[in-house]
Amino acid sequence: MRTKQQRLCNRILVAAMLVLSLFFLFPVIWMLANSFKPDGAITADMNSIAAFIPPLPGRGFFANYTAILTSTGFVRYMANTLFYAAVLILLGIVVNGLAGYALAKIPFPFREQWLLVIMMLLIVPTETVITIHFLIIAKAGLLNTVVGYILPMIVNPFNIFLFRQVFVNLPDDVYEAAQLDYCGPVKYFFTMVLPMSKTVVATVSVFTFLNVWNDYLWPSLVFTSSDLLTAQIGLNSITSNDNTTMGQTLAVITLVTIPVIIIYSLFSRQIVEGVTSTGSKEG
Amino acid sequence: MKRKNSIMGMAFFGPALVLMTLFLFLPMVLTFGFSFTDYFALNPELTRFVGLGNYISIFKDELFVQSFLNTVRFVLIIVPLQCGGALLLAMAIHHGAHCKKYFKVAFFVPVVMSLAVVSTLWMQIYSPEGILNTLLGHLGINAQPFIHSARQALPSIAVMSVWQGVGYQMIIFLGGLQNISPALYEAAEMDHATGWQKFKDITLPELKPLCVFVFITVTIGAFRMLVQPMVMTGGGPDHSTYTIVYDIYETGTVNWEMGLASTMAIVFTVFVVVLTIIQNVLTGGGEKGASTESRSFGFRRKGAGSGRPGSEKEESHADETTKTM
Repeated sequence: MRTKQQRLCNRILVAAMLVLSLFFLFPVIWMLANSFKPDGAITADMNSIAAFIPPLPGRGFFANYTAILTSTGFVRYMANTLFYAAVLILLGIVVNGLAGYALAKIPFPFREQWLLVIMMLLIVPTETVITIHFLIIAKAGLLNTVVGYILPMIVNPFNIFLFRQVFVNLPDDVYEAAQLDYCGPVKYFFTMVLPMSKTVVATVSVFTFLNVWNDYLWPSLVFTSSDLLTAQIGLNSITSNDNTTMGQTLAVITLVTIPVIIIYSLFSRQIVEGVTSTGSKEG
Repeated sequence: MKRKNSIMGMAFFGPALVLMTLFLFLPMVLTFGFSFTDYFALNPELTRFVGLGNYISIFKDELFVQSFLNTVRFVLIIVPLQCGGALLLAMAIHHGAHCKKYFKVAFFVPVVMSLAVVSTLWMQIYSPEGILNTLLGHLGINAQPFIHSARQALPSIAVMSVWQGVGYQMIIFLGGLQNISPALYEAAEMDHATGWQKFKDITLPELKPLCVFVFITVTIGAFRMLVQPMVMTGGGPDHSTYTIVYDIYETGTVNWEMGLASTMAIVFTVFVVVLTIIQNVLTGGGEKGASTESRSFGFRRKGAGSGRPGSEKEESHADETTKTM
């Protein structure tokens, strides 16, 4: 008897959740459906269920998207951001990875103290230092340059810590064997350590990408000229332009989200691992 | 050998150390130092030491006090909604037998969108003739001003932030729920425990460390509120959505008053650090964290204090969530 009652409860629960998920997703559904419509149709459809249904594919179906891609700097902003992300992923893996390796395997002076310092740095919120970053970059004359944008973002105590936690588990006998083959420590790091730790390299890369792609405050401070903007800042300058229609606004925010969706679907394993491990890390 | 190690260690650690010195240690020292001066970045020669003057004057500054109170209001709305919502969603998905995968993706979708995207989208949703007012009209509710009124702007932005963030904590709670041994519930059922008793006596105690973690991270996240008001309202109307971080940012980089901005940053940091310390005390410190972190990447840590009985469970929960996602 109990199971029958439970099954009924379960059905009701699932049905309620289905309705709730539709309400929850209505902004996203509305965004997607209307990004294919001209502004007249968006207003006309507002009062009916058609507000949540995309128009039939036909002439002008992608009009908003082609307008954004051809007559604004959007493609440029996307390319800029991809370039910054690629540079920061490479530099981040080398700088943070080397530091993590030193903290894990090389008994240099004050190693334990440095590890403690890095764990303490994890607590400090970035907002504390961002005005000073701005001051330093401004004094160095690097405002509105790619170097000025990238420099403060390379080192990341959390990634150093992450690398260290993985490298500390690597077996020492491989290193000893490599030394017999006259493999120096730097070569060993790049040809053995990194390839042996693909998971952490992937995780750090994915999170660096998402961080660069979604970051708002720092690029908005550093960049003033429009040909260096990142996608998020460029998005803001496009949508605040009076000539941009509502449909085009919805199209541009959809376009900005597409790369992130691709990353999430390709790397959902690493991301969920990251999310749940931050949960169990502190909890 | 020892000499070689210290040279090699510094060669490996050096690049990170240089960058950390420039962009973390130096800024922290400067922030702390500036907070006792009236440093004005456009006219640094005139800088004077003012002792605790800034700390007194920011709390007399009406705008800072308002931004502080606004931030507290954001925290008070966001924290219960987001933590409670995430827990309820996770439990509903965990106990409902069907469509688990769909629900996980559906409620996670807004997390994928950036703050700037979500803010731009909701400006349209909240607009006076927008879709939300149309939907409310069908229910017989008059059009609301939402982000265009000083009274509704802050709650509107807070609700939007909860919508955006709740899926993230939901995934964390789902991991925790999968981690609870079913045997506990079976035993409770033998004793004819009601659903509420099972929740109160099994689910909540088992999830307690996760609850503390989620509670503190959501609180810190709400404390750092900036991009949403920046994009949607510019801190207005009437500074009703102006937050601490917004004030730090404008005072420092728009008005160049680094002294005052640094003082605000120190006050802000103290709050965040205190919250983090409270969390670490309540959940028993970072020692355990160090071992689970490496475990979730599939590596086994040799010795080094990971022999805690509970840690095997945590390893399997990360794996399970990963599979089911």
